[in-house]
Amino acid sequence: MFTIMRCMANESRRSQMLRGVLDLCLLAVVVDEPAYGYEMTRRLRERGLSIVGEGSIYPLLGRLEREGLVATHRSASDGGPPRKYYSASQSGQRALTEGVQAWRDVRGEVDSVLSTIEAEVAE
Amino acid sequence: MTAYVEECRREWKRLGVPDLLADEMATDLEADLAEAQADGVSAAEIVGESDPRRFAAAWASERGLVSAPPPKKKSRKWLWIVLAVVVAFFLFVGGMSALALGLLAPTSVHTSSRPPVRVQGFPATKAVPVPSLLGLKACHAERIALNAGLSVGKLPTRRCDAVVIRQRPAAGQLVGPGTRLRLRLGRS
Repeated sequence: MFTIMRCMANESRRSQMLRGVLDLCLLAVVVDEPAYGYEMTRRLRERGLSIVGEGSIYPLLGRLEREGLVATHRSASDGGPPRKYYSASQSGQRALTEGVQAWRDVRGEVDSVLSTIEAEVAE
Repeated sequence: MTAYVEECRREWKRLGVPDLLADEMATDLEADLAEAQADGVSAAEIVGESDPRRFAAAWASERGLVSAPPPKKKSRKWLWIVLAVVVAFFLFVGGMSALALGLLAPTSVHTSSRPPVRVQGFPATKAVPVPSLLGLKACHAERIALNAGLSVGKLPTRRCDAVVIRQRPAAGQLVGPGTRLRLRLGRS
């Protein structure tokens, strides 16, 4: 019972942590090359980030679009219907740079607090 | 998943999303879901939400196409009612037990006329353990020290990447809040 509750708590913590940086991850996968929705999910997975259980990227993409952080255009995909492609706009690139710096700062500070803790947890 | 997409489309229309945009979003979603299915990726990873109405409303809302917030999840009122009944039961049982004990046990009231004892010699504020800053970059070390409630000498910005090679007081020592740490910097 405790193990299940701990797993749920860990999942929730992961979600909370990801929620703050998922927009940066989306910007990161379209900063060099535009991508349509599913292609972005695929790129995230290729880089090792699975967002199963973290909600969909579409609402987040909608927000990035509304805030002008991504530019969009419609173009034919390989053998499929025309797709909406997203790419990081200039302000999106700036937001990405600043966001990555903030992430690294926070990560460094948290690491320096947590680095002394043994990673292995006895079951 | 066509039914899911159709439900989304209906929700967008219900919310007043212009037809052109609703059709565009539905087409994109349908194409993405088909491609994901071909890749063996679960639909949950794409839509993340089993309720199409919530998903559609969240997407439209975040895009700024509607002003209304997405509909709330199904009410869990019954859960709260069960919880309230359980709590009320335990309170009732606890109250009855306390009443029974109160009737059976002798009542005693302790009073004390002694003034509170004041212990002399303890500092009013809590001591702060000095964090280990060795090996960290100067600006990072400065932030950690400040966060710990300590201070450091002024670091030139150009030396932000220099590495702390010595610190006084040593890590782990207890010092007063605001104590100034002396850092020696080496090349990064």
